[in-house]
Amino acid sequence: MKIFFRFLLIIFLVSQWVMQSSAGQEDENILPYKIHQKKLKNGLNVVTVPFDSPGLAAFYIVVRVGSRNEVEEGVTGFAHFFEHMMFRGTDKYSREEYNRVLKSIGAGANANTSMDRTVYHMTGNAEELEKMFDLESDRFKNLNYSEHDFKVEAGAVKGEYTKNYASPYQQLYEKLLNTAFEKHTYKHTTMGFFDDIVDMPNQFEYSQEFFNRYYRPEYSTIVVVGDVTPEKVNSLAEKYFGDWEKGSYKVDVPVEPEQTETKFAHLQNGNIPPYIGLYFKGPAFSDSEIDMPAIDVLNTILFSQNSDLYKKLVVEEQKARFLGGGAFDARDPHLISIQASLYSKDDMQYIKDEVMKAINNIKENGVDEKLLSETKSNLKYSFAMSIDNPSTIANTLCHYISLTGDPESVNKLFKLYDKVTVQDLKDVINKYYLPSRLTIATISPDAEGGVR
Amino acid sequence: MLKYFSTVLIILINMFAAFAQEVVELKLPNSNKVVIKLMFMNGSICDPEGKEGLTYTTATLITEGGTGELSFADIQDKIYPMAASYSSHVDKEVSIFTFSVHIDWLDEFYPILKGLILNPSFNEADFQRVKSNQQNFVDQVIKASSDEEYSKMALEDLLFRGTPYQHMVEGRSSSVKSITLDDVKNHYKKFFTKNNLMIGIAGNYSDNFLNILLNDLNNLPGTNPEIPEMPEIKMPDGINVEIISKNDAFGSAIFTGFPIDITRAKDDFAALMVANSYLGEHRKSYGQLYQKIREQRSMNYGDYSYIEWYENGGGNMLPPPGVPRHSNYFALWIRPVQIAKQLRMQYEELKDVEIGHAHFALRMAIREVDKMVNVGLSREDFESTRDFLKSYIKLYISTPANQLGYLMDSRFYGRENFISEMDQLLSEITVDEVNNAVKKYLQVDNMYITIITDKSEAEPLAESIRSNKPSPMTYSNLVKENLPEDILKEDEEAANYKLNVKSVKIIDSEEMFK
Repeated sequence: MKIFFRFLLIIFLVSQWVMQSSAGQEDENILPYKIHQKKLKNGLNVVTVPFDSPGLAAFYIVVRVGSRNEVEEGVTGFAHFFEHMMFRGTDKYSREEYNRVLKSIGAGANANTSMDRTVYHMTGNAEELEKMFDLESDRFKNLNYSEHDFKVEAGAVKGEYTKNYASPYQQLYEKLLNTAFEKHTYKHTTMGFFDDIVDMPNQFEYSQEFFNRYYRPEYSTIVVVGDVTPEKVNSLAEKYFGDWEKGSYKVDVPVEPEQTETKFAHLQNGNIPPYIGLYFKGPAFSDSEIDMPAIDVLNTILFSQNSDLYKKLVVEEQKARFLGGGAFDARDPHLISIQASLYSKDDMQYIKDEVMKAINNIKENGVDEKLLSETKSNLKYSFAMSIDNPSTIANTLCHYISLTGDPESVNKLFKLYDKVTVQDLKDVINKYYLPSRLTIATISPDAEGGVR
Repeated sequence: MLKYFSTVLIILINMFAAFAQEVVELKLPNSNKVVIKLMFMNGSICDPEGKEGLTYTTATLITEGGTGELSFADIQDKIYPMAASYSSHVDKEVSIFTFSVHIDWLDEFYPILKGLILNPSFNEADFQRVKSNQQNFVDQVIKASSDEEYSKMALEDLLFRGTPYQHMVEGRSSSVKSITLDDVKNHYKKFFTKNNLMIGIAGNYSDNFLNILLNDLNNLPGTNPEIPEMPEIKMPDGINVEIISKNDAFGSAIFTGFPIDITRAKDDFAALMVANSYLGEHRKSYGQLYQKIREQRSMNYGDYSYIEWYENGGGNMLPPPGVPRHSNYFALWIRPVQIAKQLRMQYEELKDVEIGHAHFALRMAIREVDKMVNVGLSREDFESTRDFLKSYIKLYISTPANQLGYLMDSRFYGRENFISEMDQLLSEITVDEVNNAVKKYLQVDNMYITIITDKSEAEPLAESIRSNKPSPMTYSNLVKENLPEDILKEDEEAANYKLNVKSVKIIDSEEMFK
């Protein structure tokens, strides 16, 4: 299971733009490879990106279902649990047979779930593409597991929770979401609440309902990147997925009420360095509004290793061991995150005050154009260097498909980055970086966080 | 069969007569970047006694500090618009610096690379910052952030006890405290030299650029580093267990291992790769361990086996390059299983259980190794596993940086190209060779086991393992009611499977890595 922080994403999502801009072609797409799209009659979108990786292809399916869709009481963590169930077999390919065939392909294959989507992927020999289509279409259309298998698989999810829970940061993250959100399903992690995980074996019928709702062509997109042609991919998609029946379910995700005051989440733990996170309610992802691109640029300016704040707190004063910031990409409004790991718990308030001072400084005085331009360059070159293999490209496209349904969002987003102005930075600070939108999350040996 | 590894690479292997260093070239004319890797044959085994962690401090201070001309902050300003990146990684026998830069910026970035390696600033403030984080890692982070990684480090501490391999590359609590800036400066001169360096370069670079790089690196210290001889790692007498007891652990995290006298240098490695993949391929569901422990019984998130060090198994799906070693061990990784305290809270019907699943999982895993040693792989299992590996190992090198890394590791082991040579060896191998290799290298009577668990679990678990008493699997009623007969029968056998236990100790987590 992966949680996507935008600031982490930036590291590997932000670059081909550079290649074009350095060649003086700023209107061109950030992704230098053509994105071929074909929508089948049943609503399934098929995306192909030919890429120079002789003999190798990445085959991804992104389903736009994640923990965001877990609207009913008592079923948190179900999208992720269901990802596990997708490996439990069909009438044609039992669990054992599926494993045997997958092994024969020799591919790297797995799946992961986050708040807005579930991704299934295989990367391997391009000559085995048809076999990949066969295997995947069968389980997406005909998944069939026994109630016993369902109950047994729940134990593996509990094992995953047990593994993750060893990290205090994971424990705090669970508290943070539960505190920051009141009604929206972003209130729980993708793993889900532990009580719901323990109860999973009792939810067999709901699991069938879940499959019927979401494992449908209109929720899904196939992405193939590598040594392939769109003609071949489209023809295989038609052959194997053309008869996949469309569904009709539409989820009604509760709207999060407006936050009115600062909230607090705290974990008492003296075994790791003190930690403070400032989490502001941000906007939903958009490939047409300037807010999120402006927030990305702002966070890069504020928290990169060359920022004044980083130099002061990490390098010179050595009050923070780590300082970073970024925003979650999400379909609905999520959080902008600023995180610091400290030397001393006594500096928590100081760190918070310094971060707010740096933000307010930009609000009052802006930034110089050279820094703005260098930041855009940084974003572009990071992206350019990251896109060096089919899996990374497919994964990147799946990320944007999960947010908007459209892989071209990556190109649209990067065109927006180029348009961000100093005034945009001031505007997003005035709009989002406010005490009334803030949740402060802390870890220290004390019973309370003590930061105001 | 995949063909991409052989068609996209133009591999040029040069031994430049004028230079002492081996050079590994990977020209990729279509690439938009250049990756440079500098591998010094100098890892944590070179740490002086009482200064364990010094190699790590030195390498980290090079990348977290400045140069003669530029401070760390100055460098960050310069590379910001380039988005160039660099980092160091220290393992037991090598320290590697990796630099990545877009070709648009290569010329502007290069003086920074040169300054960092040839003329590191080594100033006191940077040193304090690096050392403090390192101290914090060995004191707190390793014990508090992932019990799985903790159990792996604890296993190395036990398996290599008394040798230069024992300590974590980051060192121990007391040893890091004693490291001074002068120690770092001296260590750099003695061990980061032109005489123990392998240079790797990949991407779209010119011959002229490479010549400049080689000429400049020839100005590294010319001392001959004294690399310690690796003592033979002794096979333990019987099964030796260390249970590390900590507050508020949510499960039991387990690693086991015993030394094996084989590395990638030997052709037998291909045979052992097949056996290992069949038993427990990393993060794959095909392995026997995964099938028995996770798939059929859902006791945890996964179970795997290893015949060499695997860096950051919790984060990596494919084995990264850059951690070559001469001393290997066979290992089983059993991801955290339930403890009794948790089972009692979760299920009314288990309110009386005294120990969790660790003992049963251990028996189940070791029993699978035992079966493989005694029965061997069938021809069908052998063929499917071999075919899988022939395709799968090519995914290890699907990025330029990994291609380069694997080529450099190949040289460490005296090979030209590990991936293509394994491909060839796998093509020729027979089922008998695999089963003979299993019998030659693997066994179940002697091994080390480390378990990170909760304080409430440590004593009952220790007693159960020590006394070798039956450890029946405890299922919730929901799962138990429909378990097939063959599973229950196998459970019964596994619960009574005898382990050759010689010693079981409980260690307080506070005492680890002091």
